[in-house]
Amino acid sequence: MTAPRNLMLPMSREDALSLKLGEMVTLDGPIVVTAGIPTHQRILDGIHKGEAPPIDLNHAAFFHLGSYSQEGPDGFEVLYMNPTTSTRFNTMMPEIIRKFELRCVGGKGGLDAGCAEALQDVGGVYLSFLGGGAPLISASIKRIIKVAWEDMLSHYRLVTMEVSGLGPLTVAIDAHGNSLYDQLADGAQSKRQQILDRMAEARGKA
Amino acid sequence: MTIHDADITKLTEDLYSWALRKVPDDTKAALSAARERETNETARRTLNMMLTSARAAEEKDRFVCSDSGVPVYFVRIGTRAKWDANIKSAIRAGFEHLVETIEPPLLKHVTNPLTLERGYAGKDMPIVTYDLIEDADYIEIVCSPKALGSGRWAAMELFTFPTMETIETFILDVAIKAGSQHCPPVIMGIGIGGTFDYCAKMAKEATLRALGTVNEDPLLAGLEGRVFDAVNALGFGPMGTGGDTTVLGVHANYAAGHGFTPVAVCFNCWINRRTRARIYSDGTVERLE
Repeated sequence: MTAPRNLMLPMSREDALSLKLGEMVTLDGPIVVTAGIPTHQRILDGIHKGEAPPIDLNHAAFFHLGSYSQEGPDGFEVLYMNPTTSTRFNTMMPEIIRKFELRCVGGKGGLDAGCAEALQDVGGVYLSFLGGGAPLISASIKRIIKVAWEDMLSHYRLVTMEVSGLGPLTVAIDAHGNSLYDQLADGAQSKRQQILDRMAEARGKA
Repeated sequence: MTIHDADITKLTEDLYSWALRKVPDDTKAALSAARERETNETARRTLNMMLTSARAAEEKDRFVCSDSGVPVYFVRIGTRAKWDANIKSAIRAGFEHLVETIEPPLLKHVTNPLTLERGYAGKDMPIVTYDLIEDADYIEIVCSPKALGSGRWAAMELFTFPTMETIETFILDVAIKAGSQHCPPVIMGIGIGGTFDYCAKMAKEATLRALGTVNEDPLLAGLEGRVFDAVNALGFGPMGTGGDTTVLGVHANYAAGHGFTPVAVCFNCWINRRTRARIYSDGTVERLE
């Protein structure tokens, strides 16, 4: 077993283009996280009005992670963090990916073909996080850089932080338009009849 | 001695807090066994990370997942238990106290479905179902917090006089639709028959059965084995990025019904949140899982 590749953020275009489906990576550097549909909507509204978001998203690592942030004497701290289902944001992500040329996005459950196409256009990848990985993922947080949109629920806020050794994360959509999710869904569909036949055979023997 | 409100409040609060920090032992054993069988390297590593995360949560007293779900309880009252308590409000008080005091604090996940507003409280929260246990001198309570990640992929269809083939095809198609989404490897609960409402309840209760146990009904045991092999053959794998392990267990319940046959399928994600305890008439608490 080879150790996961450790990559620096912001991810270079070369690094993004070099990543292969199923490969595992760990990340060092700044990331931006949110788990909110209203957050994505506010980012889109900003794009349409020509207003920059309060946290720079250009070429950013933008992840669907829910986090509990609270303000303490030394500023904001994040108590825990974990991925949320990315497919909720399918319709909103292509425009965000293209506008900010996001090099890596991620969460859990993947994104659809429209998002994979947008990632291919800008040379970006989707990274799959471990659901139920809060103890491991939270341990990679080094410091909170900024918490924006504090009016929102904690997990909806836009938060940027410095991480070290975040992961391992699985490359699930590469920068060339290939998606493990699409491949696996197609594979399941094509195996369906064969599997049903095997079930019928097993029922016959029962 | 008698079971009082405060006993129920304390116990249901504890059950929720425990459920957030501990992956059940049977589930860890199933993950570990799957890791040995798994032929896909990425999948093996993912299963390994799951076990590491589960261990870290227990050792460091952390939440396994940031999404604490909504509180769901199953209360079974022994018909010989002695109790003098407003069980429903005692459970509500337990959750309210948990929200106020738990460390680290919970995120707001209780959602009003009509306005999409989220908070810590809402109509009919916590969700509690009640049942009786003949002759038992205790109240048994299971806590199984539920979140969107695996919750939204449940499905039910109503058939008329379906064959086993029709039923199994439907179950497989629900698994195909859920695909990579529900934090696999999952535990599948299946309900067959009864009525619309009862069928959903049977499916959910099936997920609470211990992994590795064999269904007492031979017809259902057969179905469970076939569905287990079939869903794992789909190839979605741990976290849906490919592999041999998409399901850890398939558990089915059935009830007689009329010729219209509901079939319900639901999922628990790999952390399979579930805690269970009994409280006896003298106030003694026995934690079972």
